[in-house]
Formats: sequence, C-alpha cells, structure tokens
Amino acid sequence: MKNKYRVALAGNPNCGKTCIFNALTGTRQHVGNYPGVTVESKSGTFTFENIEIELIDLPGVYSLSSSSPEEEVAFNELTAPGIDLIINVVDSTIPQRSLYLTTQLAELHIPMLLAFNMSDDARKKGMKYNIPRLEKYFGSPIVQTVASQTGGVRGLLDRLVQTLSELEDHGVPMLTYGADIDDAINAVAEKIEALNVERLRHVPARFFAIKLLEHDSAAMRIPEFESVFEEVEEQIKHLWEKHAINADTFMADRRYAMLAGACRDTISMTQERRREISDKIDLVLTNRYLGLPIFLLIMYVTFWFTFTCSEPLMGYIETFFGFLADSIGKTWSPEKVPFLRSMIIDGVIGGVGGVIVFLPNILFLFFAIAILEDSGYMSRAAFIMDGIMRTFGLQGRSFVPLVLGFGCTVPAIMATRTIESDRDRAVTIMVLPLMSCSARLPIYALLIPAFFAGCQATVMFLIYVIGIIAALVAALVMKNTLFKGDGEVYLMELPPYRMPTLKSLLLHMWDRSRMYLHKAGTVILAASIILYICNTFPQKKAEEFSRNYDAEIASVREKNAFGPVRLSLAENLPGLSKEQIAEVKKERHLTPELLEAVDMKKLSLLQKKLVQSASETNDAVKALENARKAEAMAWTISGRIGHALVPLMRPIGFDWHATTATIGALAAKEVFVSQLGILFSQGEADENSHSLRTILVRTYTPLQAFCMMLFCLLSIPCLATLAIIRKELNSWKMALIEGCAMFALAYTVSFIVYQGGMLLNIGTKMLG
Amino acid sequence: MTEKKKCCSSCCCQEESLGKQMTLAELPVGTTATIVKVMPKIRGRKKFADVGLVVGSELLMEAHAPLGSLIRVKVMETSMALHKDDAANFVIEQGTRDEK
Repeated sequence: MKNKYRVALAGNPNCGKTCIFNALTGTRQHVGNYPGVTVESKSGTFTFENIEIELIDLPGVYSLSSSSPEEEVAFNELTAPGIDLIINVVDSTIPQRSLYLTTQLAELHIPMLLAFNMSDDARKKGMKYNIPRLEKYFGSPIVQTVASQTGGVRGLLDRLVQTLSELEDHGVPMLTYGADIDDAINAVAEKIEALNVERLRHVPARFFAIKLLEHDSAAMRIPEFESVFEEVEEQIKHLWEKHAINADTFMADRRYAMLAGACRDTISMTQERRREISDKIDLVLTNRYLGLPIFLLIMYVTFWFTFTCSEPLMGYIETFFGFLADSIGKTWSPEKVPFLRSMIIDGVIGGVGGVIVFLPNILFLFFAIAILEDSGYMSRAAFIMDGIMRTFGLQGRSFVPLVLGFGCTVPAIMATRTIESDRDRAVTIMVLPLMSCSARLPIYALLIPAFFAGCQATVMFLIYVIGIIAALVAALVMKNTLFKGDGEVYLMELPPYRMPTLKSLLLHMWDRSRMYLHKAGTVILAASIILYICNTFPQKKAEEFSRNYDAEIASVREKNAFGPVRLSLAENLPGLSKEQIAEVKKERHLTPELLEAVDMKKLSLLQKKLVQSASETNDAVKALENARKAEAMAWTISGRIGHALVPLMRPIGFDWHATTATIGALAAKEVFVSQLGILFSQGEADENSHSLRTILVRTYTPLQAFCMMLFCLLSIPCLATLAIIRKELNSWKMALIEGCAMFALAYTVSFIVYQGGMLLNIGTKMLG
Repeated sequence: MTEKKKCCSSCCCQEESLGKQMTLAELPVGTTATIVKVMPKIRGRKKFADVGLVVGSELLMEAHAPLGSLIRVKVMETSMALHKDDAANFVIEQGTRDEK
C-alpha cells in the first residue's frame, strides 16, 4: 500500500461537496485558477492514519458533457492520469438527479467511493436506502454522511482508508445503455482500442466511445481520435436509421431510465412528502410582487451591515498606519538614506495603508455575500433581477456586483464569480469600473461645494446617474459587438434554503479577502513606489529654483522675530507648557504647533494682536514653502509628463495641474485631490480643504470642474482595477482594452461636454 | 436574434400542423406536466437533458419571475430557472403518470 494518494472530489452543484472538502482539509487549502478559464481550482492535503491524501475539489457539475467551462475542467482532470480514487458526493435527498453524474464517473473505471450526503435530511423526508444493493449497481462502496455537522464525515474517513487499501479489487458497475446503443459503443470502442493511444491508456475506450457518440466537444478535441470520427458518424447514422435513436440526448434518456430503475429497486419512501419549508419561504421571497421589494431590503441590510461593522475597525487601521509612519519617522533620522526614509513613510505606508484601510469593509462584505450565497438566496436574487438586467444585456447575477461597484471596484469584480456564464461575467466586469466607486467621492466632495454651491445634491446625483447610464449603455453596446450572439443557454438551479455553517462562511470570506491583501502587497506596493518616484524625481537643486526660497523664508522669519517686549508677552500666553515656553524663547516666534496649544479664549487684547501677527507670518512662510513644492513638482517626472500632455488635454478643459493630478490618480482616484493640493501649493490637501477650493474657483470655470469630474468618473478607477480585470478574465489584452476604452470614453464625453459648453456659453464664467 | 426568431416561428408552424400542443412556456403556475417531445432545434439540448429535462420527465411549474421571462420549474426534485424562449421547445402533456 502506498502512503500518498490523489483523490478527486466530484459532485453536483449544491450537493454539499465544498462542505465535505472543508471538513476533510480544514484550512490547509490551496485556491487558484485553472489556466485559461475562470473556474476556481481547489486542492488540499491531509494526513489520516499515516496516509497522505491530496484532495482535489472539482467544480460542481451535473454531467461530464463539457457543455460548460466547469464540466470541461472536470473532464480534463478526471481523464488525466494519476487519480487513485474518486469520492463522488451525492445529495441523498435527490438521488435520481445526483446519481446521473455517478453513471458517467463509473464509466471511467477509476475506483470510486460514494458519499451519500445530507442523509439526515433524506431520513426526515422518509427515504430509506438499500445500501448493499445500491453498492452493487455502481460497483462502489457507499457511505452516508452529514457534512454540515461536526463529526459527520468521520465514517467517510474510515471508509476512505479502507477503500484505498483495496484499490485493486473494486467492483464493476452493472449499468448498460441497452443492446442497440451498446453495440454502437462497442464498435467505436474497438476502433479506439486499436489506436492504442499511450497517454490515454488508463481511461477505458468505452468511456471515450460514449463521449464521441454524444459529440462531446472535449472528447472530439483529442487529436488522436480524428481517425475514429468516420466510424462514429457511421454508428450515429445507423442508430438513427435503424432504431430512430438520436445519440445526442439518448444517452441522457437511457441514463435517467437506468437510474429510475435502480432507484425504484433500492430506495423506498415511507411517508408522503410534505411541502418543504424551503418552498414555503420561496412563496414569499420570490413572490411576483413582494420579491423585488424584499430583495432591495435585503441588499440594503447587507450594505448597512457591512459599513456599520467595518467603520470602527477602519478607524483603528488608520490610526495604526499613522502610528507606524510616525514611529518610523522618529527612529529613522532624516540624515540616513533620506530618500528611502520618505519613500517608505510617504510612498509605501501611504499607498499600501490606503488600500488596507478597506480590508474590514471587504471582510464584512464578503461575509455577508457568503451568507447570501450559502443560504441559497443569491440564486433567488438572480431569478428576481434577471428581467430588469436582461433589458440592458446583463443578467440577474450581475446586479449584486454592480451595486458593490459603488463601494470599491476591486471586490465587486471578485464578486462576479457567482455569474456562471463566461460572457455575461466578462461584460459585467468590463462595465463595473463605470459605477462611481467610493474613491472618486473625495473628488466630487472637493469640487462640487466649490463650483456648484447652489445645487450640490443635484450635481452629485447627476454624476452617479451618468456613471450608471454609461455602464448600462456600455453593456448593451458590448452585447451587440464584442460579445455578439446568443451565448450560453441560461439554466440555473435554485437549491433549497440551508442554514450556512460558520466554518464555511469564514473560509469563504478568507479566500476572497486573501486575494485582496495579495493585491495590496503586490500591485499597490509597486504602484505606490513608482508614483512616489515620479512625484519626487528628478529633484530640483537649490540653485535651480527661480527664487531663493530658503533665504526668503529666513528673511520673513527674521523680520518678524519677537523683540524683548513681544517675547515676554508670548511667554505668558495661556495654555503653554514649560517646554513650549522654552521653544518660544528659542524660536522667538510662535510656530503653528505652538499656536495650536494657545488657549485662544483667555487672551488679552495685546496678546490677540500678537497671535494674529504670528499667524500672518506663518501663512507667509507656508505660502513660500508651498510655492517651492509646486515648483519642485513641476520639475519632476509627473510634472513634466503633465506639461507634455497639455496639448492633448486642453480640448477637454484640463491645464497642466489637472493633467498631472490625473496621472497621479492612476494609482487610486482619491490621489487626485492630494495631488491638486500639492500642485496648487496648498500642501497636503483633503476634500475639505477650504483654501484649495478658493484657488480652484479662481483658476477654473464650473464647466472645467464638471469635465474633471466626468473624466475621473469615466476613466479607470485605479491600477488595481486593471490588475484584477487581468486576473479575473485571465487576459492582458482585455485589461489593456478596458484601460484604453475607458480613456477613450472619458475623453470623448468630456470633450463633447467641454466644447459644447464653450459653444453654448454654459458654465464658462469664473466664479472667483 | 433574427435567426432565432425565424427558427422559433418555423417550429410553431410545424407544431400547428401537428395539432394544438402545449409547451412548457404556457404551463400555468402550480400545475404539473410530463414532457412528451423535445424540439430538435433547441439550443443547449444536452445541457437540458443533463438536468433531467428529457422525454418522460415530470415537471411542476413553480413560479414566474417578476418582470422578464424567467420561469421556475421543478424537475427531479430540483428547482431550475430557465427562459421562456427555451421552455417553448418542450412539448408537454398536462398531468403526471400518478394522477392518471
């Protein structure tokens, strides 16, 4: 007996397969993607009684017909050599449906172990199984499990070890398709046998013969079989002419007939089946009239839960990164490798921290989604929303990701994994970045109060609506161009409602959040470093500046330095500590930090005057410092690119400030605001910066401001979005197309609006 | 799209000449039926067959989705959602074997 085995876990969707997988492997899982398709691959290793078992969780399928990417993956995995055993999970409450896959698995002649899962539900339903008899039908041992309960898979483990020790003498299934079809199968199988294909030797020729007769696309694609096609067509013709049998579906008919016989023979019902609770719930939840309002309510509760729970945690994370940056800044003296120091503090911690702040959001969101999915409600939601979404060329399952897009595009794109049709999924992913994500909000929050004071809510609403309309129109356009045609047949199971287990919810949540963290650790890290370098280099040397800022600052300070009278006045200001008073003496001035400590309510008239003049001095110094920053910024790579792109961007109302800020905003849209702050010499600005607004109003017209918002709304939200699109669609090309298409869209729309506005004289008057 | 419409209408014409037969798309909510024929030109024939939508299968029409064209059918103890366009390719007879 070996001590290392490869075991494949196969079963229908919703049969509790993942539950068994989790129960067996725990957290020792590896989640990835199959190359070329968007199907998730899962495997895990565990040791039991000194046997190491690698468990491969195949995607849930109804059949091995390769009529969906999932089925093709399962087909390829199972026909590849090296699988010692298949554990076939069967939902024992619906044996006839679940065993359909089993009939096909049995044809592979790989030893098999059947796990009749949810056996407690079956018992409640009044179903009784004649297990020894069923074992004979499929030539495989059967074990009853309840994967949702702790210890419910113990029997499976014992049986697994026993089966692995007896692999040599597993039984032969007693399933046939009837004499007429069996003759055809044997004829084709003989031809395949004669080919003697080395790499397929481990799979019985009969299996491929059946698949070829069914015109199975994955089997037809195996190049070695080309010479058999003639015989296959001959046999299909023969079946049709002699027996009026359509081989395509007749296999399915016969398999179901076979199962109907087997089930009648081995399963008995002791009581009349009552109407299940699940159906009663559905009478309300998918009601024609109540369904939609209830769905919207559930969505609202989901988001409310996500944001309410994550808010305090986000605060902690922010504080943590602030603390981290501070303590690095304190322990690492500015003289030692200053470049690396500020890159880590400003670039890396700022960039990566800015993304990790959203982690609680992501965790709670995916926890909520996992509840909706595991309980079975998600497919009801799709059922309810399908009609509306289909009008726009999308489908029911697109709705939830699109709404998530208002939060953050990256997790929203990850949430599209629930969409089974590849084509609908691709369209949903491609239009998702047009939903206005929360990173764009700071831009609106900065510009709207400055330029559209009278109608803030209306403009904000307008921006969001433009995003939604753009997404829906883009979906319609794509459905009629890039993804033309009827696409896949829509067929979706609505599984009975089930109480999700905490373990599977947590695993589900962790899987997705891990991907998000991975993104923060790779793409965002790289982007923040690059952006930092672009914003910092080349550094302008002191003598290259147009003015000598240092000297000017020094002279301002000197001119306003306190004489003995004012100094004694300053020393007695209320609210200052001993150290602060010492600092006042040393500086002969009140720095902004010192001014903050002063208790403004208890000032005498003279002291008030003193404080006022001190803050005027501070403003003058600040203005000079900011002017220097802006000049340094213009000198950097970002600044130069911004200047160079002005001819391109002028037709949509952008000057070099806005252009440079847009480049910075590639990393993350909220950077647009802080970049503008730097460029307009306002230092580190946020969306509440009053002084920045004042300058903006003096520089831009409302029309230009509106075009900036439009451009930010319609162009790619951040580089991480492109990275995740590449990952989820498994194609650099699609990510590139997406980036270019969104730029083209943003440019065109802003161009039309700007030029149209100029022509019609709308919003072209400066407000400031 | 136009191609599909053409196909559908030709199927219906064929059907009318065979006499009035009901399709799954027309089955009222809450009633049961048995599949008697699957139209040869149906898309995704194998996909439907794999979930048990084959001749002889018994069905229960459970619900229609609000707005749009999805229907929900119980077949082999499982609820499946599919489109009316596709459902129109299943010719049915109302009632099940047990009832008769």
